[in-house]
Amino acid sequence: MFLISEFRSKDALVEAILALKKAGLTENDLAIFSEEPIEFRKGILDRPSNMSKAAVAGAAVMGTAATSFVYYAQNDYKLVTGGMPIFSFWATGIITYEMTMLGAIFATFFWFLWESGLIRKRDPEAPVPMIGPASMSLRVRCEISRADNFVEILRGSGCIKTERVK
Amino acid sequence: MAEHPELLPYGIIREDLFRPLSRAGSKWWFTVVACFLLVVAGLAAWGVQLRDGLGVTGLNRPVFWGLYIVDFVFWIGISHAGTLISAILRLTDAAWRKPVTRAAEAITLFALMIGGLFPIIHLGRAWFFYWLIPYPNARLMWPNFRSPLVWDLTAIVTYVTGSAIYLYLPLIPDMAQLGAHNKPWRRKLYKALSLGWTGSDREWHALEMAMKLNAVIILAVAISVHTVVAWDFSMSIAPTWHSTIFGPYFVVGAIFSGIGALIIVMATLRRTLHLENYLIKRHFDNMSKLLLTMSLLWFYFTMSEHITIWYGNEPKEMGVFGQRTRGDYAFWFWLMVFVNFVVPVTLLGIKKLRSVKTAVIASFGVLIGMWLERYLIVIPTLVTPRLASATSVYTPSWVELMITVATFAAMIMLYLLFARLFPIIAVWEYKPHSPEEED
Repeated sequence: MFLISEFRSKDALVEAILALKKAGLTENDLAIFSEEPIEFRKGILDRPSNMSKAAVAGAAVMGTAATSFVYYAQNDYKLVTGGMPIFSFWATGIITYEMTMLGAIFATFFWFLWESGLIRKRDPEAPVPMIGPASMSLRVRCEISRADNFVEILRGSGCIKTERVK
Repeated sequence: MAEHPELLPYGIIREDLFRPLSRAGSKWWFTVVACFLLVVAGLAAWGVQLRDGLGVTGLNRPVFWGLYIVDFVFWIGISHAGTLISAILRLTDAAWRKPVTRAAEAITLFALMIGGLFPIIHLGRAWFFYWLIPYPNARLMWPNFRSPLVWDLTAIVTYVTGSAIYLYLPLIPDMAQLGAHNKPWRRKLYKALSLGWTGSDREWHALEMAMKLNAVIILAVAISVHTVVAWDFSMSIAPTWHSTIFGPYFVVGAIFSGIGALIIVMATLRRTLHLENYLIKRHFDNMSKLLLTMSLLWFYFTMSEHITIWYGNEPKEMGVFGQRTRGDYAFWFWLMVFVNFVVPVTLLGIKKLRSVKTAVIASFGVLIGMWLERYLIVIPTLVTPRLASATSVYTPSWVELMITVATFAAMIMLYLLFARLFPIIAVWEYKPHSPEEED
């Protein structure tokens, strides 16, 4: 089941998250909804990201693919170059560079879509709270048997209201 | 006028910034229709060129590059307003950037779309534009990957893609908010474009990470794009083009004209959309200082470029130098120096004179000056080639002038439409705010 709690202060929200984690919930059980990003200090609700690694990997793949393409294309039909190399890193380096960057851009974008969950199948059971300006909602996934305990924790932390969704 | 717009109650901020999307006055309609008609006239002129060939332009032997290439370089330069400025401000976490970034990013995208058309218009047989795309032609030969034109294609495609994503990412949360309160067709549009954004911390975290990474990548791409445009010239041994500083010279010029365009757009939006509380004097003051810095840098590069030519005293280069400084193009050259250097330094360098109005005047001057700079780089060199017998004159035809005017109209029209469809200032970026402020 899920609990949805509304908070008006960031301090109260932090207190609730820490108390819930202490009570045995993991960061995967918690989700915050707000109209603007909320920044926490490290250790409160960390969301590790592999986006920079994905960007580097995308850059490497696209850069290598573009360079190989240019190499094989230029060798596919051997031009008369008057002694100059058919393929030259100097002259085709621009294409390698731009395609490397394009790979990084695409990888970042698709990783963003994946990591944010926008293109992943969502849990149809998980409710998405309506949020207004200046309010923050904390969604807690828990077992029914422990719900009362968590509701107490949320109330004790200063939430405005808590709702149970099965 | 609010000294700190980010401290206004969030409800008011949202109301103020979403309001322009639901109301369009008669002036807006008049401007859009007028611009649209100019764009149609430009398309008709292009139609004439497609029917009759490049003979309808002022291009001749040896002036193979004319107004189209001038416009191409100019618009690619303007595109540096957005992404580059936005990325620098975002990476340095400059708090005053908030109302400026989206307006700047939109300039980039539209300027690139327009600038990217010119190589195709210039082709003459525009329907063969796909020959630039790397695949073997009828004679089974691949395009020459060592041609700066192919470099341009890859650079511009990368920059357009990156800029579109960079503009789109911070729009997602705003579109999710707009999806809840609008006319049915708009609601559908915003919902589709916001990809089911819910405002969860995972989404915010991924968004901020993606924007930071994109800012870093786009900075590197933006600099490379205008360097590659500069190499279109400097890779040839034409007089005054074969210069090692052309890359940075073009990048500086591009940022310079981009800032000018951004100031004009900011002032226009401020007035027409009543954003006086958001685009405040501080923003114009900071942008004016940036414009002033770029003016000084531009002057340094221009001096450096010309003094080297003059001191080298190479006859062909001196021919172009003479054309520019005391020959047929002298009036335009000195006008360029006046509006690109004397005017900004006077109006923006003297603190008492610095205001929104003077920033706009200086910016208009810079746009004219930078267009002239591109003209003076392209044309005098081509009319004074190394082969003395090939000397020629170039006068742009009505077709070229009409297409040029149409692109300015297209820019205004696209911008007005964008400002009516999407909030021109990122609403969610006005963080943090507290419930007390909301009350």
